[in-house]
Amino acid sequence: MAEPRRLVLPAVAGGLLLLAAAMSLAAFGRRLPLPLVPGALMAPDPADIRQMLVAYSLAPRMASALMAGAMLGLAGALLQAALRNPLASPSTLGIAAGANLALSVVTLWAPGLLALGREWVALGGGLAAAGLVLALAWPRRLAPLSVVLAGMVSVACGALAALLALFKTHYLAGLFIWGGGSLSQQDWTIPAFLAPRLALGTGLAVLLLRPLTLLGLDDAHARSLGVPVALVRLCALALGVGFATSVVSVVGVIGFIGLAAPALAHAAGARRLGERMLASAVIGAGVLWLTDSTVLLATGELGEMVPTGAVTALFGAPVLLWLLSRPRLVALAPPELAEPLPRHGRPRRVLAGLVLALLAVVAASLMIGRGLEGWSLDHGAALDALLPWRGPRAFAALAGGAMLALAGSLLQRMTGNPMASPEVLGVSAGAAFGLIAVLLVDSAPGRSLQLGGAALGAAVALAAILAFARLDRGAPERVLLAGVSLGAMFDALVTALLASGDPRAALLLGWMTGSTYAAEPMDAALGLGVAALGLASLPLLGRWLDIVPLGPSVAGGLGLPARVSHGVILLAAAGLSAAATLIVGPLTFVGLLGPHLSRRLGLGRALPELLGAALAGGLVMVLADWVGRLVAFPWQIPAGLAATFIGCPVLMLLLARTPSR
Amino acid sequence: MRTDGLQGAAFGPRVPPAAFSRRRLLAGGLAAAVFAAGSLPAGAVFAEEGLAARFAGPASAAPPRVAVLDYGLAETMLAFGLPPVALAEADDWETWVVEPALPEAIVNLGAAQEANLELLAALAPDLILSTPWLARSEARLARIAPVETYAIYAPGVTSPYEASVTQTRRLAARLGRAAQGEALVAAAGAQMDAIRARRTARAPEPALQGPVLLVSFLDARHVRVYAPNGLFGEVMARCGVANGWTGETNYWGFAAVGIERLAEMNAARLIALEPVPSDAAEVLDRSPLWNSLPFVKAGHVQRIPAALMFGMLPSAMRFARLLDAALDAPPGNRLGWAAPRQGMHAHG
Repeated sequence: MAEPRRLVLPAVAGGLLLLAAAMSLAAFGRRLPLPLVPGALMAPDPADIRQMLVAYSLAPRMASALMAGAMLGLAGALLQAALRNPLASPSTLGIAAGANLALSVVTLWAPGLLALGREWVALGGGLAAAGLVLALAWPRRLAPLSVVLAGMVSVACGALAALLALFKTHYLAGLFIWGGGSLSQQDWTIPAFLAPRLALGTGLAVLLLRPLTLLGLDDAHARSLGVPVALVRLCALALGVGFATSVVSVVGVIGFIGLAAPALAHAAGARRLGERMLASAVIGAGVLWLTDSTVLLATGELGEMVPTGAVTALFGAPVLLWLLSRPRLVALAPPELAEPLPRHGRPRRVLAGLVLALLAVVAASLMIGRGLEGWSLDHGAALDALLPWRGPRAFAALAGGAMLALAGSLLQRMTGNPMASPEVLGVSAGAAFGLIAVLLVDSAPGRSLQLGGAALGAAVALAAILAFARLDRGAPERVLLAGVSLGAMFDALVTALLASGDPRAALLLGWMTGSTYAAEPMDAALGLGVAALGLASLPLLGRWLDIVPLGPSVAGGLGLPARVSHGVILLAAAGLSAAATLIVGPLTFVGLLGPHLSRRLGLGRALPELLGAALAGGLVMVLADWVGRLVAFPWQIPAGLAATFIGCPVLMLLLARTPSR
Repeated sequence: MRTDGLQGAAFGPRVPPAAFSRRRLLAGGLAAAVFAAGSLPAGAVFAEEGLAARFAGPASAAPPRVAVLDYGLAETMLAFGLPPVALAEADDWETWVVEPALPEAIVNLGAAQEANLELLAALAPDLILSTPWLARSEARLARIAPVETYAIYAPGVTSPYEASVTQTRRLAARLGRAAQGEALVAAAGAQMDAIRARRTARAPEPALQGPVLLVSFLDARHVRVYAPNGLFGEVMARCGVANGWTGETNYWGFAAVGIERLAEMNAARLIALEPVPSDAAEVLDRSPLWNSLPFVKAGHVQRIPAALMFGMLPSAMRFARLLDAALDAPPGNRLGWAAPRQGMHAHG
C-alpha cells in the first residue's frame, strides 16, 4: 500500500518538471540556437538582440515562473492548513483583489505614486485587504468560518476594481493584463524581488511546521497540547498572505495555482503537512513553468497575447475536475458546520418587517429618480412615462436577488459551508461561458442569441454538476470544488479576453457585474414567476432542509435518503441560479449575502430562513439597482456591484459586533 | 480652458439663431483668429487646416436633433458643424479625443454600453447614431428614436479608413450635410497626400525613413501596438510611413504584447500615444533589453498627445498631423521621455 504511493509523488513532480524543462528548452531554442544560450546568459552581446532577449527576457521569465509557482503553492498549502478548508486560496483572503484595487485607485487618482513602484502599491493594497480580513476575524480567534466570511472584503475590493474598470476601461487596460498574471519580463528586477522573499518565507514555514501539524487535529486538542492556536494560525495566515502578495504584486493574479497545487499534492499522496508543503511548492513551480513555456511557444501563433495567469486556470481547472471525478484520490475533510446564531423569538415579525421594507424600496425605486432637471419625485403622467424604463429593472432586480439568495441559502444549508453560493456552484460560470462563446462567434449578437448561449451554458454546467453529484452520492464539498474550478476557468477566459484589449470585453464586463440594463418586462415577469415557484415549493423541502445540516448520519437515522435529498436540493438551487443568471447576470454576491443577512436577523429554521433570504436578497438587489441608477448619474452602476457595496459593509458590521465566544 | 464661450453656446441645441450667426462668423474666416485668441494649440490646428471654416457652412432651417453613442460619429458630426444634442461618455472626451473641443451644451449619456434611457427619452432626439458594438441596446433605443448603425470596426471590415470614408458620406447624406461630408473626405485625403509628398520629397536621413512602431503603453511591461490594418496604421501608410509591426492583429487593428516582442521587429522609431503610465519611463530606463533596442539607442522614441485610435476621419487627420510633427522632431535625449508636453496637449 505504502510503496506505490511513495512513488506517485516523486513521479508526478519529476514528470512535471521534466516536461516543463523540455518546453522551456524549445522556447529558448526558438529565439537562439541552443549552443549559444549559455554564452548569452553569461555575457550577452548588447549588439545581438537575440542574446539580449535570452538574457533579459526569457531567463528571468523562467526564474520568475519557478519562484512564483513555488510561492503560490506554498501559500495555498499554508492557508489551507491554517483554515482547514480545501477551498481556501490566496484569493479567498482578498489579497489579489486588494492589490488590484490599490493599483486601480492609484492609476486613476494618484498616478505619481506609481513611480514609487507598482509592486509596492499592490503590496500595500493586498496587505491592507488581508489585514482587514484578519482584524474582522480576530474577535473570534480566527475560527475558519469567520475568516472565510470576512473574505467578503475580497469581494468588495473586487467589486470596486471592476467598477473602476467599467467606468474607465481605456485607462485600466494595463490592469487587465496585470490581472491576467503576465510573466513578460525585460530585466531581472522581478526575480530579484521574489528570491529573498521565497528564501525567508520558506525558513519561516519550516519553523511553523510542527505547531501547524498539531493544528491539523481540532482546536481543542491542539490547545490541550499547549499550542497557541490563534497565534499559530495568525502566523501561518500572515506567511501565506506574504507569499501571495509578493507574487501578485509583481506578476499579477495567478490564483489557481494556490488552490490546485495543494490539491494535486494531496492527490499524489502527500499526507503529512511537511510533505504536502514541499510537494505543493514543487508542483506549483512545475505547473507555472510548464504553463509559461507553453504560452511562450504559442505566442504569435495564437494571434494575441495570452496572460500566463489566465492559461494556468485553463490548464489547471480540468486537471482538478479530473481529480475530483476520482473520489478515492481526493479525500476532503468536512468543513466545520455553520456556527449557530441566536434566533429571533418571533420569525413572523422579522419576515413582516422585511416585506414592508421591500415594498418601500420598490416604491422608492419606481418614483424617485434623476433627470435633466435634477432630482424628482415622479407621479401621475410623469411616472407613467418613466415606468417602462424603471419597472422592468426594479422587478428584474427583485426576482434576480430573490432567486440567487434562495439558491445560496439552499446550498449553504445543504453543504454546511458558508462560502457556498451560486457562483461556487458554477452555474453562473456556465451561463457566462455560453455568452462568451456567442461573443466569439458573433461580435454583435442580438439579445435572443445572447440569452440562448447563456441558457445552453447554464444547462451544460448544471448537467456536469448533477453528474458529479451522482458520482459521489452528492458529497457537497466535491460538487462545490468542481464549481470553483468551473468558475476559475471562466474567470481565466474573461481575463484573457480583457487582456487582449478586445473592446468586446466591456460588454461582457457589463453583464458580469450584474446590470439590469437589458431587462425587459418579459424577463422581469418570468423571473418573478420562477422565484414564486421556488418559494411555493419550499414547504415541500422544509423538513429536509432542517435535517440536512445535521450531517449524513443523523439524516440517515431520521430516514432521509441523502442521495435523493441532495439531488433535489441541488437541482432546485441550480435551476434558480440559472434563471437568475439569465435575467440579471451572475450576481452572485447576493447569493452569498441573502442567507447570511437572513440568519443574522435571527431566522434559524429552514422555512423562515429561506423566506427571509429571498426577501433580503430581493430587497438588497432592488435597493442596489435604484442606488446604482442615481449616485453616478447619468452613469449607471450595475446592480450586482452596487449590491456588493451595500451588502458587504452591513455584513462586516454584523460580523464585527458578534461577541467573541 | 474650454471653448464653451465660442463653440458651446453657438452649437447648443436651443439657440439656433445665434448658432447661425456664429457659424457665419466662423465661415467668414474669423476661426483662426478666435482659436488663436483662445490660445488653444490643438484647436488652432483645426482652424489652421480650415476645417471649422470649411465644414460649418450654413445649415438647413431645422437640423435634426441627434444623440450619438460613439466618439467617432460625434467628431464627424462636429466636423459637419452639426453638434449632437447628447453623447455617451461625454466627460471622457478630453482624455481620448481632445479635439475638436466638445460644446458644453451636449448632454452626457453615461456609458456607451448602457446609455441612460430615462435621460435619452426625456431629450426625445430625432435620431440615435450607434455602432455594431452596441447592438444589444438597439431594440431599447429604437423605442425612443430611430437608430442608425454605422460600422467602422467590425468583423469583415478590412479597412477602417475606407469604412470611415463610406460612413462619413452616408452620415452626411442622412443629416443633409452631403457637401460637408465630401469636403471632409477630400480634406483628409489631401492632408495625407500632402504629408506623403513632403516626406518623400525631402528625403531625410535614412534612420528617419525606417519603419515606425506606434504604441500605447498599458503598463511598464506591455504595450498595445497598432498594426497596418487599423485606422492609424492606414494613416501611416497614407503618409508614406512604414509600419514597424508585422505581427498579429485583430479587427480593431492592434495587438497587446509584452515590450520584448518589439525587439523582434526591425523598427527604426517608436512613437507612443499619450497617456503613458507614469512609472513606465523609469522602469524602462533601467532595462538593459529596452536600452539595447535599436530605436532606443538612436534616441528615436517620442510621445505624442492623445488621439482617438478608434475614431473616424477627424481623428485620422489629427493623428496624421501629430505623426508628421513627431517625425520631424529632432532626436532628443536618449529616451525622449523628457520632451516638453506643454503646447502639444490642448487641456493637459
